[in-house]
Amino acid sequence: MRKLLLYVCILALVLDVQAVLAQGRVITGTVRDQYGPLSGATVTEAGTKNSVPTNNKGEFRIVLKGAAGKLVISYVNYVKQEVAIKRGSDNIDVKLEQNTSSMDEVTVTGFGQAKPRTTMTGAVSSINAKEIEDIPTSSVQNALAGRLPGFVAVQRSGQPGHDASDFFIRGVNSLNSSGSTPLILVDDIEYDYDQLSQINVNEIESITILKDASSTAIYGIKGANGVLLVTTKRGVAGRPKFTLRGETGFQQPVLTPKFLDSYNSALLVRQAYANDGLTNLPPMVSDADIAHYKSGDDPYGHPDINWYKAINRHTVEQVNANLDVSGGTHNVKYFITGGVFSQNGNVRNFGTSQGGVNSQGVNNNYFYNRYNVRSNLDIQATKNLSLRMDVSTRYMDINQPSNQNVTADIFNYNDFHPFSAPFINPNGSFAYAFDTQGQLPTLNALLASGGYTRDRRTDFNALLGFDEKLNDITEGLALTGRLAYSSQQESVLTLNHAFANPPSYHYNPTDGSYLLNTGPNGGGYVEGVWSSSGYPDLDIQNVDAQVYFSYDRTFARAHHFNSLLLWHEQTTRNDDNPLLAQVAAVPSKFRGYSLKIGYDYKQKYLVDLNAALNGSDRFHAQKRNGFFPAVGLGWNIAKEKFFGDVLPKVNLFKLRATYGVVGSDVAPGNQYLYQQVYNNGSNYSFGQQPQGQATVYEGPLGNNNVTWSKSRKTDFGLDMNLFGDKLSSTTDYFHEYVFDQLVTPGNVPLILGIGLSPTNVGITTNQGWEETLTWSATAGKVFYSIGIVYTHNRNKVIYEAEASPRYPWLAVTGHQINQPFGYIFQGYYTQDDITSGKVAKPNTAAPPVAGDIKYKDLNGDGVIDQNDEQAIGRPNIPNTTVGLPIKLGYKGFDLSILFQGAFQYSLSAIGTGIEPFQSQWQPIHQDAWTPTNTNPKFPRLTTDPTTINSPTNYMSDFWLVNAHYIRLKTVDLSYQLSKKSLPFHLASARIYLSAYNLITWTNVWKKYQTDPEAQSNTVGDAYMNNRVLNVGIQVGL
Amino acid sequence: MRKYCLILGLCIGVMSACQKNYESVPLGQQATLDDVFNTQDSSGQQAILYLSNCYLEALPSGHNRITGDYLDAASDDAVSSSNTVSAVQMIATGQYTAASPNADDDWAYNYNVIRDCNVFIKYIYRVPLILLLPDGRKAIGALRSEARFLRAFTYYRLLQRYGGVPLVGDTLFSITDNVQLPRNSFSDCVNYIVSECNNIKDSLRTAMGVDAGNYGRITREAAMALKTQTLLLAASPLYNGGNIDGSDPLTGYPSFDATRWQAAAQAAQDIMNLGVFKLTPSFYDAFTTQAIPVGSNPEVILWVQSGASESIETKNSPVGYGSAGGGGQTSPSQALVDAFPMSNGLAITNPASGYNPLNPYDNRDPRLAATIFYNGHLWLNRAVQTYDGGLDKPGGTSAETKTGYYMRKFMGPFESVSSSPPVYSNTIHDFPYCRYAEILLDYAEATNEASGPTIAVYGVLDSLRKRAGIDPGTDGMYGLAAGMDQADMRVAIQNERRIELAFEEHRYWDIRRWKIAAQAYNSSPVQGVDIQQFGTGLTYNRINVLTTAFKDPQMYFYPIPYGEVVKNPQMKQNPNW
Repeated sequence: MRKLLLYVCILALVLDVQAVLAQGRVITGTVRDQYGPLSGATVTEAGTKNSVPTNNKGEFRIVLKGAAGKLVISYVNYVKQEVAIKRGSDNIDVKLEQNTSSMDEVTVTGFGQAKPRTTMTGAVSSINAKEIEDIPTSSVQNALAGRLPGFVAVQRSGQPGHDASDFFIRGVNSLNSSGSTPLILVDDIEYDYDQLSQINVNEIESITILKDASSTAIYGIKGANGVLLVTTKRGVAGRPKFTLRGETGFQQPVLTPKFLDSYNSALLVRQAYANDGLTNLPPMVSDADIAHYKSGDDPYGHPDINWYKAINRHTVEQVNANLDVSGGTHNVKYFITGGVFSQNGNVRNFGTSQGGVNSQGVNNNYFYNRYNVRSNLDIQATKNLSLRMDVSTRYMDINQPSNQNVTADIFNYNDFHPFSAPFINPNGSFAYAFDTQGQLPTLNALLASGGYTRDRRTDFNALLGFDEKLNDITEGLALTGRLAYSSQQESVLTLNHAFANPPSYHYNPTDGSYLLNTGPNGGGYVEGVWSSSGYPDLDIQNVDAQVYFSYDRTFARAHHFNSLLLWHEQTTRNDDNPLLAQVAAVPSKFRGYSLKIGYDYKQKYLVDLNAALNGSDRFHAQKRNGFFPAVGLGWNIAKEKFFGDVLPKVNLFKLRATYGVVGSDVAPGNQYLYQQVYNNGSNYSFGQQPQGQATVYEGPLGNNNVTWSKSRKTDFGLDMNLFGDKLSSTTDYFHEYVFDQLVTPGNVPLILGIGLSPTNVGITTNQGWEETLTWSATAGKVFYSIGIVYTHNRNKVIYEAEASPRYPWLAVTGHQINQPFGYIFQGYYTQDDITSGKVAKPNTAAPPVAGDIKYKDLNGDGVIDQNDEQAIGRPNIPNTTVGLPIKLGYKGFDLSILFQGAFQYSLSAIGTGIEPFQSQWQPIHQDAWTPTNTNPKFPRLTTDPTTINSPTNYMSDFWLVNAHYIRLKTVDLSYQLSKKSLPFHLASARIYLSAYNLITWTNVWKKYQTDPEAQSNTVGDAYMNNRVLNVGIQVGL
Repeated sequence: MRKYCLILGLCIGVMSACQKNYESVPLGQQATLDDVFNTQDSSGQQAILYLSNCYLEALPSGHNRITGDYLDAASDDAVSSSNTVSAVQMIATGQYTAASPNADDDWAYNYNVIRDCNVFIKYIYRVPLILLLPDGRKAIGALRSEARFLRAFTYYRLLQRYGGVPLVGDTLFSITDNVQLPRNSFSDCVNYIVSECNNIKDSLRTAMGVDAGNYGRITREAAMALKTQTLLLAASPLYNGGNIDGSDPLTGYPSFDATRWQAAAQAAQDIMNLGVFKLTPSFYDAFTTQAIPVGSNPEVILWVQSGASESIETKNSPVGYGSAGGGGQTSPSQALVDAFPMSNGLAITNPASGYNPLNPYDNRDPRLAATIFYNGHLWLNRAVQTYDGGLDKPGGTSAETKTGYYMRKFMGPFESVSSSPPVYSNTIHDFPYCRYAEILLDYAEATNEASGPTIAVYGVLDSLRKRAGIDPGTDGMYGLAAGMDQADMRVAIQNERRIELAFEEHRYWDIRRWKIAAQAYNSSPVQGVDIQQFGTGLTYNRINVLTTAFKDPQMYFYPIPYGEVVKNPQMKQNPNW
């Protein structure tokens, strides 16, 4: 503070002093962005060629040579800024604003290649990882939803350690369930979904997705589903820069399901029994019982427990901390980072503390702990030779209750009713659900003594590389080699009681007696001892080698060549679960040669030629190698003179088109599909004291013709920057024709007598468009940016060797991949419908009665059966996703928010999610059909799980919600202290408040109590997605 | 120069770190045809294990086979005790279609078994097997014939379910072959199975010539039994004169021919003439003992091997035995209970029988106690309580008997086993697909149809009733009426078959081939008994348990799976499906 006052005084003194000669004057300062110091920014004296870069702490020192008195601060992907040099002020603190739409935005495109937006012909989107660094989610892919056009993500679960989104680039395009997974490369090394989710975002520099044929063709056989590239941070020369981040957050479920209390539940039980004409009521719902529930006068004899609230905590914590060191000299640069992430689960920890009684010291809660370490080294060995060595490792524990899905148990009406048992008996012993068939001890009892299952996983990556500039052969030529090793190992450790049913008692308040639970069949409880067991679950090793020549040179300031010749080989060994899979441990090998020739003339006419020759040993020798060519053309009309004359404010107006073929070697099963394999079957015994002996059986027929599937991709794009780069727009239309897909033919009669290997016959198409529109500008001292990221795709099954169906509406072909089928809702049966012979009815054991759902009889045979199912709704993965990023910057304050929405998908629930006597009673059940409520939201309640009212047996458009949601997905509000006000010689300091999934609006909640991103028919099983509120501090030294 | 050496070195280093080539021979523990039928392995180890899999697939154990229930629980003999809609209930109430088949409809599975047998039949000769049978013959012929038997047995199962089906012979289809085959006629299938049985008979082991380690393998006598079963099926009213589809060769013969009954009788007679088999002295022993040494249990001819276990007891015994466990899976019907005569051999409907409705289980055919748990039946040293609120019918939400009865058959002799807490011990539970008792009944039925109620027919029934423990009476008739005509005898044989072979997967098929299924399912609901205890007295009231349904006549055959008809224009659907 004193320092600040001093500065103010000095400033006042020099204000009216005349100009001193600028020449020779030394200006120092710091350049930063909203996240902290910015290294590598260029500080140029206006009107001169005098420029210096900032060091790794964002600092610069420039000796003025001209008289303009202005500095221009520029950096790739940031808004250029001019700063006037004030008299007497030799120290300048500049904050740059990110501009993802800037003309010279450079995007990494793989294998060391990077291209500016102006000369790109392909469909590529990227994001600077800084933008998502503050988002409090453990998985990188969760933070990307809504930010990148063409990136479609669905987060199926919120379970700590298993909450990573599934994602697709341009949606799903393959009939093969795993065939739509994009290729994920981290520093050019292949990762899977899980590995990606475990990376600490703090290690990442940028993320790019490659979408069209031209940009993915060099990946050949692996590129058909798009590519996601992650580039990690590297050191910048300078004194060691320490960055410390610490943050802590609070998680809450996005939705807390509401269940009815004992009173209302019992009323609905009675209603259902009355509907079915049943007089033998189940226990605990007599008139006297209901009176007790209403008055609440008998909390032990007539309990009223909301098991969801009793078992779960509403708010739980998570913690994240990182320490980075980077710096180096001209010869050696380093970036070293370590991180800890810890996320607790929503369940109370009955095992160690909660409840106070009977705790056995074993943590039953879900949790996730992750430790990351990375060291990226760059060594300039000689003038031309640089070496790199990257080593990173991740270690993590994922804990969950042993043999218990807590959400599923709570939703499951058959396990517990709200009136089944008190939470704990008056004498502190555990109670049990004495009125249910299973007679389970209460959930808290099961958790307290049930133990845990813990996944322990270690990932290790090492990458060695060299890069030799071959300028003495020809200018611009370089040779690069990389050798990478990655391993994943996971083991599962379980600590539990064998057959854990802890002793539990039914307390009778009338006589104070305690009855020991002997189980449904008198099996009784088993007071087991704790035992631990473990097995290896994952053991994957991957060796990846790449050698490539790259060539980048401009001739005569006009002809720019940018080319690559690549050799790439990869071996993966997967010893996945050696106990089970006989065909596991089969290595898979990949080899590829790729060539890319890029050319542009004055950044005006652009040509990219790509070709890859790839092979995979999953296929027979004759079918192994494939050739994948692609071409991209671009024309930046804005560079034409005539265009500039007409529209001078348009800086970029680029038309581009690409076309090519890429492949996918994703094949079902870890085996060679061309080979027929004989497996071991169950035991059979001969002899008089029969001992089971292994048997051998014939596996599915091999198919020598199995080969990769292919995708012909067309992409048309238009890139525009208008109004002096204030408005930026990228538009893409794409069409994919995916053919030769591996599908198991469904049209071969079963008389064949044997399973078939898949054959390359499936065909689908996928088309859609993407739009990114960003307006960024400064109004006074406020920088603001608002954008829209729109993604739409729609796929279609053209051919999948489907057996021709009995009726045309039963055909899958012609619909979207994974199209749901079901009945058409036509209201509810009336008594007249029931007695009329003309109204179609199902063939259920119990005939339908008034108030049951009435469906359309498509084939008019008077019977509602499978022949009356048709395509309903849409698949479970959204066809349209939208992101609305908004940014505001004012001095040290920055606000960044993202609304994200998904549209055009369907969601349904069955069983424990919604059905009476399977699910807990929910508010929607109170609006069930009764003779007096004939326009309800729910059909007649019934105890029979097989009636037409059951979505398990009769899925229909009544049960399928055409869903959409909009989320306030992320919020990031940060304040950065100015350099001058920093205490303790800190280089920078920043505090931020961030949030994830803050607010959700969705129509799903009108029917189902689940997250709108949950997978269909897992409602009642899926761990709720979380909302996270987070506060953090970042300090630089 | 040194620099380029360095770079070259680095490149070579990187490139050689990866394997040079794709695997020329695919790696992994992937057994191929050549490994299984190894031309070098004179012990034929893998090939013999392959044959074991054919056994495993072709001979599914009938115990709790239909998703936990006995197939007989889909007939008029029992219902499932399950609280939910069981698969057998779906069958018994006629809830299945070509598109949603019933749980016993296993078309694809059976054709898979046939192919698996064909692989063995085709390739076993590659193996230079030196193994010999106990009688000195080479074993390879017997093993191959076992596979042919299993294939024929699978066709028999298909024939029962669908009528005539495509016969694929020894063909092993490849992916490019045309498998759009038409169905063979019913008579072709019968002839094929019979000729296979005739052809393989003499190369198989004999029942008495099996060594201990190979106990459970298919024998000559099993082939003769399958031939008998097939001929009996072919002679039965559904196919022989009662074709539901006029002269459609797929669903039977166009007209009646008495010689089919003669052929069936002769086939049974051939087995009886061997003199190898006889009835075990005790009815109980037929199900829980194995032939140690070989031949000591002379009754079972074709059976499914299984290790000793408690599984049948724990799944099916009454629910009230605490720690011993008891799923009470099967609830036998009142009609089955009523089918058992009194211990004097007279039907309970006979006024002279001495049947007392207030004491309905006293003085009954001892097979009743061996087949069914009724109220008061001794078990684990206490009386079974199936009265309302009794230990074995406590009420509440758990599964329990719906009829007041539980199935007793196949269980070990735990009647008076006393221990605390009560427990079972391991017992043999081989599932009998053909017992000598059935051959005798086959003979009696076929002979009665071909030649009327001869003395031999009476003799067969007498022998079964004698073994059962029925009082021969002063007239030595074991309660049978003298001088029955053919129709009376038919009723007597059918009743004897029902009680003797209950729960052995016969009743379900018998009511079909006798063409009485429509009557059995549609004439009345399945009944049970509701027993109330008043003081020390009990009242018995018949209650309806399940209304069954049978679409006549289409349900006499299963539908060909919908997909098969769609994929194959030559595949003709069964009538009315």
